[in-house]
Amino acid sequence: MDLLYAERCLNCHGSGGRGDGPLAARLPVRPPDFRDTVERKSNNQIRRIIAEGKGTMPAFEPALRPAEVTDMLQMVRFLSREGRDVAWWERFDTLVVAHCNIPWETVLGYDDKADDTTP
Amino acid sequence: MTTRPTIPRRSSLDQYFARSLVFLLTIAFAVVTSDGLTAEVQPARTERRVTRRAIENFTLVDQNGARFDFESLAGRVVIVSFAYTTCVDICPLITTALRQTQIGLTPKEHTQVELLTVTTDAEIDSPKVLNAYAKRYGAEFDNWAFLTGSPAALGHVWKNFGVGVKRRARGLIDHTPLTAIVDPTRLMRFAYIGPSPDPHVMLDDVRSLLKQQ
Repeated sequence: MDLLYAERCLNCHGSGGRGDGPLAARLPVRPPDFRDTVERKSNNQIRRIIAEGKGTMPAFEPALRPAEVTDMLQMVRFLSREGRDVAWWERFDTLVVAHCNIPWETVLGYDDKADDTTP
Repeated sequence: MTTRPTIPRRSSLDQYFARSLVFLLTIAFAVVTSDGLTAEVQPARTERRVTRRAIENFTLVDQNGARFDFESLAGRVVIVSFAYTTCVDICPLITTALRQTQIGLTPKEHTQVELLTVTTDAEIDSPKVLNAYAKRYGAEFDNWAFLTGSPAALGHVWKNFGVGVKRRARGLIDHTPLTAIVDPTRLMRFAYIGPSPDPHVMLDDVRSLLKQQ
């Protein structure tokens, strides 16, 4: 999942999802800081942006499998929490999820089922 | 959510950055040969080259699924860029620069100048995908066409313009970051190799060609 983010998102959104990737300053509209925008969006809204694109952000639906779009969504949620970084992902993934059997939703800080009915 | 994401290998980020470094070094020393288009390309800079490379006619499909003949643009100055819709690297910058160039054209120039974006990804960039991409950039279709086609037809166009294309994965393509200006006699007169062709410079170069008509 971290590799997917690094390949498809990091250039613009940055390693911490703060909209400060290497390309960000040269885009006509600066990418959002996930900490400011993600929490008030439903999963379906985020999925739609990933799938259909927005402004200069590509539409990833033609290139990615649905499971990969879900992985992207999870990473966006993960980075929307203060102080997180894509480099932390492996630490969370390996130590917390793999060894402690903590529900993934707890790590990410959201419940996927709660807003899946949002149109 | 019931599935647990797969655990990435510890070295996956390192692998990505190593691959990126190799790619950037490749681009940095890429050489576009023939007709004086030889250039050492710095990834962060855009080189402007003056050239006289002859461009052959080609036929592709536009963002509406209609047949597009390059020949139909005879007598007009044409700005041609190469990009693909799922690019997260240089293509957003190039397409943005083209849009700014289109905005900078006067109403008269609008009728004298055509913009073309040729995809470097035949696998994903169907007319429908290109149409949505163009709309996200606010492109006006009256003098800007987004072109796709069969791999063979696109390969012919890429070769025609000296653009190298290499597929890394689905939706991830390495390609020469070329934007070119072709004059009404079908000679490529200016080549901008890099991620950020300057719209003001391109407009000046377009106007210099229009004055020669």
